[in-house]
Amino acid sequence: MANTSLLENRLIELDNVQVHFPMREGVVKAVNGVSYHVNRGEVLGVVGESGSGKSITARSIMRLLPRNAREAGGTIRFSPRPEEQIELSALGRNSRAIRKVRGNHIGMIFQEPMTALSPVHTIGTQITRTIQLHMQMDRAAARKRAAELLAKVHMPRPEQLLDAYPHQLSGGMRQRAMIALAISCNPALLIADEPTTALDVTTEAQILTLLKELQSELGMAIVFITHNFGVVADIADRVSVMYLGRIVETATVDDIFYAPKHPYTRALLRSIPRLGVDQGRRLPTIPGMVPDPFSVPQGCPFNPRCEHARRGLCDVDMPEAHSFANGQISRCHFAEDFLKEAVNV
Amino acid sequence: MSDAPAHGPAAPAMPDDTLISVRGLKKYFPIHAGWNRRHVGDVKAIDGVTLDIKKGETFGLVGESGSGKSTVARLMLRAYPVTDGQILFRRADNSIVDISHMRESELRAMRREMQMIFQDPYSSLNPRMTLLELIGEPLVIHGVGTQAEIRDRVAELLSVVGLRPEYLQRYPHAFSGGQRQRIGIARALALNPSFIAADEAVSALDVSVAAQNINLLQDLQEKFGLTYLFITHDLGMVEHISDRIGVMYLGRLVETAPTDDIFTKPLHPYTEALMAAVPQPDPKGNRARKRVPLKGEIANAANPPSGCTFHPRCPYAEAKCSTDEPELRMVTPNRQVRCHFAEKLDLIGVRQ
Repeated sequence: MANTSLLENRLIELDNVQVHFPMREGVVKAVNGVSYHVNRGEVLGVVGESGSGKSITARSIMRLLPRNAREAGGTIRFSPRPEEQIELSALGRNSRAIRKVRGNHIGMIFQEPMTALSPVHTIGTQITRTIQLHMQMDRAAARKRAAELLAKVHMPRPEQLLDAYPHQLSGGMRQRAMIALAISCNPALLIADEPTTALDVTTEAQILTLLKELQSELGMAIVFITHNFGVVADIADRVSVMYLGRIVETATVDDIFYAPKHPYTRALLRSIPRLGVDQGRRLPTIPGMVPDPFSVPQGCPFNPRCEHARRGLCDVDMPEAHSFANGQISRCHFAEDFLKEAVNV
Repeated sequence: MSDAPAHGPAAPAMPDDTLISVRGLKKYFPIHAGWNRRHVGDVKAIDGVTLDIKKGETFGLVGESGSGKSTVARLMLRAYPVTDGQILFRRADNSIVDISHMRESELRAMRREMQMIFQDPYSSLNPRMTLLELIGEPLVIHGVGTQAEIRDRVAELLSVVGLRPEYLQRYPHAFSGGQRQRIGIARALALNPSFIAADEAVSALDVSVAAQNINLLQDLQEKFGLTYLFITHDLGMVEHISDRIGVMYLGRLVETAPTDDIFTKPLHPYTEALMAAVPQPDPKGNRARKRVPLKGEIANAANPPSGCTFHPRCPYAEAKCSTDEPELRMVTPNRQVRCHFAEKLDLIGVRQ
């Protein structure tokens, strides 16, 4: 198995993960050397615009990559218990080993529960079967546990709703049912891929509160993928910001919001309209747009849109990940400069 | 005006600075059941909405999904037939017409003056049409100009929305979401409308692109004197762009107010709850706020709760709320609220 062992409190560690998609027009490097880790019981927020590779990275943890994806390198090590270590990156997508990990040790929830849940089975059947499969319970016991799980995610009338089909539930209730399914076997890690994006703010607040509650109660870690900085500020302990298949900055949630050290993070934070804050008539924007994946710029991928970019450096050399004493990591040639500057975003 | 009496006994009137005025607007969708499809009830999607939008202003409409905000916009453009109520619109020649029950043939001319921008830039553009055809289509339908003139106009519109005029012969698939949204904006602008309803126009876009398009909409408003109805569930966005805001709940307006007032001090408990629910990009602030999420979900419009339709979820509800239905009433000259206790409650906004 793995030749080096993980630190005691490390739950999962991704090292230089690369996922490529060979296309007629060229190779899309959707995930281009992503490294991050999640400690036990911690919430890592992964933010980025669409196409930044945040979902594909998460899917490579679950070994649920699309069939045309090519894994070009990197290791993913997962340690469900301190004494046990699994190298996920070595497992095949249909191997017995990964099927034991999925659902059992790692649960996943998605943006649109209607597509993730089976439309032809009741909520109860779906949860019960998962429990029977992974926890070796008989049907009656599994059904009892399923009802408890629905109560745990604050579904009203859990006994009755076990027999409901997904289409009979509202969006918020479906998301609760999916969470119940994902946590049914007490996973050590929950991967949440934009779970609140399709919901109204009031329902979103309910789901976020529920996730925080479950997280502290069950002690599970969460990888929370979103493009919404408000949501990440609410739920995450640490945050990684992705751009064009790379992590450009990782830090504690407070450092990301109050002392960002990458120009992309800083520009994004400035361009969000904030509730209750007058930002003048025009919103500050990031010039240009995310380049198409076939023509990723030379050097730092953000350099054509960056206000700090220096010709001859940023458009030539890919910046190294720069680590600070507080654990903050920024992939920028000028990361040090942001240390002195009083940040006002 | 010789043609005005066709729509009513007297020529409709509204204040001079008002572009569009909606009065007592209702839209019921019938529910049929049984073997003979008997009419057994109605979904009261819009149940008595009254609002005025002034010339050149941006009116923001917010609310949860199912509150009827999109339906209001579609009714105002007469994409649906109106069940009841009036929609007064001031035309370019300053005449006022009621379009609520206008015939299709008459509406056609009206549609030059009111346009819509849609949420999904992928499904709202025909993938088999070039930009020239897409943006030129309204011009062709309304018989404006020769082919060469249309071509020039489309090229001009493309540059107005920040796209290169050379793109005329390209198809929508060659563009990103933000650019497609701009194509939709160019199409809406083609006939020089005075009123544009933007239904979740930036909701599908990434943060940095949304900001660019919001700035574009504001520039266009200044340049062409446009009036916007801006529908969104993003309160931060609506605060940034709107002059006045209307909050909808279950087919009704529960509060209307100038933007500054509503965010400083909301008067309706639902407005307060909506604001409190938004997670802010401010981790320390979020920890300090200790949010209590609103309970439950929006009620079924086919079977709304008695009294105030918000009372089952309202933390301040009293006995009266479940029996007596509050009216939308004037509290100060520019603020209206639909709550029995608006003056008594001391609600908290998001601004100091």
